[in-house]
Amino acid sequence: MSVLLAAAEPKVQLTSQTRILAAAIALIFMAMILELIRRDRLQERYSVVWFVAGLGMLAGAAFPGLLGVVADLMGVRDTNVALFSIILLLLLGLALNFSVIMSRQSAQITRLAQERAIEEARRQAGSGDEALEPEERRARP
Amino acid sequence: MRTLVFIPAWNEAASVADVIVDVRERLPGADVLVIDDGSTDATAARAREAGAIVASLPFNQGLGAALQTGYLYALRGGYDFCAHLDADGQHPPAEVERLLAEVYADRADLVLGSRYRDPAARLDTSGEAEDEGADYRPTLSRRIGTSVFRFFLTLATRQRFTDTTSGMRAANRRVMTLFSENYSPDFAEIESLQLAVRQGLRVEEVPVRMLERAGGHSFLTPLKSAFFIFKGMIVLLVGQFRPRRVEAER
Repeated sequence: MSVLLAAAEPKVQLTSQTRILAAAIALIFMAMILELIRRDRLQERYSVVWFVAGLGMLAGAAFPGLLGVVADLMGVRDTNVALFSIILLLLLGLALNFSVIMSRQSAQITRLAQERAIEEARRQAGSGDEALEPEERRARP
Repeated sequence: MRTLVFIPAWNEAASVADVIVDVRERLPGADVLVIDDGSTDATAARAREAGAIVASLPFNQGLGAALQTGYLYALRGGYDFCAHLDADGQHPPAEVERLLAEVYADRADLVLGSRYRDPAARLDTSGEAEDEGADYRPTLSRRIGTSVFRFFLTLATRQRFTDTTSGMRAANRRVMTLFSENYSPDFAEIESLQLAVRQGLRVEEVPVRMLERAGGHSFLTPLKSAFFIFKGMIVLLVGQFRPRRVEAER
């Protein structure tokens, strides 16, 4: 009986107090990102995703019905579950994105270290040596 | 015809000089390069004193990156052939000479020294002898790892390998070109074999004699070995899905 009643209740219950709080947090969050960019602590290309997250938060606070619509689309009865699922997926995607960026940068750092080491070794091997001939000029056997 | 012999070394000050002297004595025509992989001891200084060229990586990058540095140096320097061996004195330079003979004769693009293939097997028509060399006694965890990798690499490449993690190899320019661009920093030995076979290169194993380590300790503990094996299997699996590029030059 209580289950039926719960299902009939309005899907999103946010008091105006929580809505104001959520909107304030979203705005502060975006202001922080702007500040980080301004101080060169964060590059623009990595900030886009965070702005999108901030705007999403703001939209959720401004239009509480939105979450209900999304939950319906997902086929989830409980809007809280929908909210947490979305956030979880978003964070998972972000973490993966960072791993990809990290892998690329790690490969770049390795190559940089190798280039430096090779440069130094060639200098030691002696300039003017045949060993310094660039491979492009070399005829293949 | 120019040959580069390179030696990846990470904190091998105790043994690196002897290896260099041995190599120079045995292979007087070859240039010797030591890749100092961010050593914190006197490896680079000892290597220079012993007459090697030294490429010092600014921080420890792992064996894969160190070996790739050697292949890249050989490629850029216009060397026709290269070989590498470990800095701990396990690999006799005389055996490296035999590996090089195979690439000189163009019988293979990449030649590995295998401590598990009995030298007698070369004369044996069956070629199936797989006894361990008399000079080399591996630990249990190494033996398990070796057989697991042997099995999976053979499965992946459809070619029989006995010593998949061998750090004694000789190669020609085709291999230099491939490895200087595509070489996994994490799992150098096994993935590189898979890669070379998939790219249509001729990879061959030659039985060699290896010695006990002259200095330093093996980094493998049982737990690390288990992780190492697990990682290797994932690397091999992923490698099977990499695109197969047939080299235009062949």
